[in-house]
Amino acid sequence: MTDYISAYSQAGHLFVPRLFQGFPEIKEALMSNKMQAAFMVAPMAIALRAQGVPVKIVYLGHRYGSAVVVRKDGPVKSVADLRGRIVAIPSRFSDERLIIFKALRDHGMNAKDLRMVEMAPPDVAGALAAGAIDAFSMGEPYPSQAEMGGFGRVLFHAREYWPDYISCVLVVRQDVIDKRPEAVQVLVDGIARSGLWLEEKKRIREHRLHAADFVGRYYFRQDPRLLRWALTKPIDRVMYEPLSPRRKDFELIVRLMRETGVLDRDIAFEEFVDTRFAEGVRTPTPWKYEAGDTKAE
Amino acid sequence: MSHSRRAKEVIPLKKIALGVGAWVVLLTTAHFTMNVNWDVLLNDRLPEAKRKLNVAYIPVT
Repeated sequence: MTDYISAYSQAGHLFVPRLFQGFPEIKEALMSNKMQAAFMVAPMAIALRAQGVPVKIVYLGHRYGSAVVVRKDGPVKSVADLRGRIVAIPSRFSDERLIIFKALRDHGMNAKDLRMVEMAPPDVAGALAAGAIDAFSMGEPYPSQAEMGGFGRVLFHAREYWPDYISCVLVVRQDVIDKRPEAVQVLVDGIARSGLWLEEKKRIREHRLHAADFVGRYYFRQDPRLLRWALTKPIDRVMYEPLSPRRKDFELIVRLMRETGVLDRDIAFEEFVDTRFAEGVRTPTPWKYEAGDTKAE
Repeated sequence: MSHSRRAKEVIPLKKIALGVGAWVVLLTTAHFTMNVNWDVLLNDRLPEAKRKLNVAYIPVT
């Protein structure tokens, strides 16, 4: 969402956006240098770095925007009701998995009380509707899709158990950071400005409705009505500021990854995050961009 | 008389070949326009220093 305007308004001078349908495929493409940068779930980026893959997190994609969804007419009315149920997650290396652990812990339960299955994000709403799963923990717009379809109900949003929750982060290969730091800076600048544009106080609703239209049609290839729902019901369902990577947010993720068995060693913040691009944002103002414009300034 | 009219109605082989050829060109052009991402294809052939960064994303906020 955050890179759309900068990608197209600058005629893609510095980067080419490539659509994927799952995080494992993104991971492989990044490792093989087919992709030089990627938006991926934060724990996956941390795990890659811990395994020695030369990548760094340089910025966030958004904050919040993940939820646990259950069947509207199903038996799950509370977190405690998840006991014995099947819950879909995008990856075992995802914040959507960690948020379930946090919620379970708050209710005196643990991961053994339910069964988590990995599923590609676009498949979860259909699986819930068909009764193949009892719940899913996923980023938008899939919770919105289940709500709009009339078969899903949000059990809880991530922010209820995890203040300042983050999910997708921008990851860049280390060789690109070393050889082409200016290009990485332009990419981060564009995302920062798009985030500010989406959060512009006086026109926040108008901008989000515009974004839902052009991102839905030309970028995500999804029904714009779905993104309108995801971006405005309520207006802070997904937030695009602040997007600078903060130490305490990532230390919490590392701790949760260690506790839940998907990270076998402690890893320092500096080892997997490069903050210089977030700190070096040159134009901290929203894009001047109207829907339909071919250029943003 | 009917024999000569029938002879006129036969479409020459050359015309058929031209028609098929035009159809193939039309379909090929449409395919290359709609289904090939030229940005990506050309970018991957540039020298590394000049190449645009390929940025992967998935349709999640």
